[in-house]
Amino acid sequence: MKLQVETRLSDQLERFLDLTVSAAKLTAANMANIDTPGYQTLGMDFAAEMGDAMARMDAGAAARPVHIQTVEGLIARPDGNNVSMDREGLQLAEEQLKFKTGATLMRLENQRVLDAIHADK
Amino acid sequence: MNLFGLMETSGSAMQAERMRAEVVAANMANAETTRTESGGPYRRQHVVFAANQGSSVFQNTLEGAVEPAIAGGGIPLPSAISLTGNGAAPGVHIEQVVEDTALPLKRYDPGHPDAGPDGYVAYPDINPLTEMVDLMGATRAYGLNSSAVQAEKAMIASALEIAKS
Repeated sequence: MKLQVETRLSDQLERFLDLTVSAAKLTAANMANIDTPGYQTLGMDFAAEMGDAMARMDAGAAARPVHIQTVEGLIARPDGNNVSMDREGLQLAEEQLKFKTGATLMRLENQRVLDAIHADK
Repeated sequence: MNLFGLMETSGSAMQAERMRAEVVAANMANAETTRTESGGPYRRQHVVFAANQGSSVFQNTLEGAVEPAIAGGGIPLPSAISLTGNGAAPGVHIEQVVEDTALPLKRYDPGHPDAGPDGYVAYPDINPLTEMVDLMGATRAYGLNSSAVQAEKAMIASALEIAKS
């Protein structure tokens, strides 16, 4: 058996955490610009990005930059800004939970590898 | 992955919103000021927010790095946002503080030392209601960004948990 300190799951989790931070960064940028005239809410298609990252990982390709797009279907205020406080708050809560889940799974995966290393004790 | 970049973004917004609240406070404090250095009554100040832009070098790197959002490229990409680079934080800043051009309010008060020959005094055109609404907006936005900072702190803390076993 090949010695694998970094497992497939830990690689997947790494990409997942990266994407979650990217999404959180977009949410933070939206929140920061809640009063900037003309600013358009930015977002990304998380599921599509995740699917693409997994496919790239299995193909051995390097991660590519995230596709950023403006979010459709939001109500714009008279100054042209369409950032919704509720949407961004909800997004951030979701991203926070995703990140915590990923970090916990990562810790457990590391623990599993460590347990295998110390299996003789 | 740069978790601290998140904090810079929210921090820039908190700084900008506090500046906005300070300007509102200055407006309310000077609601009855009839003398200023430039002469005449105090004029109401506004802040103008603008999304942060990266430096030109940074932008070039960015434009090469970020692919168009949709194949065919319908949407112009916001050059301020980078998810991979370590350049300027995609946040907000106060571009300028502008003076309101509204004419001063004239109030008849011939006893006032700043009264004109017709007995009218020019007072700043400051509406406490407008100022209070602006202050509320600034407070809310500040709170929103500070709760974002709390969320980011929790994320960093859970990232540190990975190393513990």
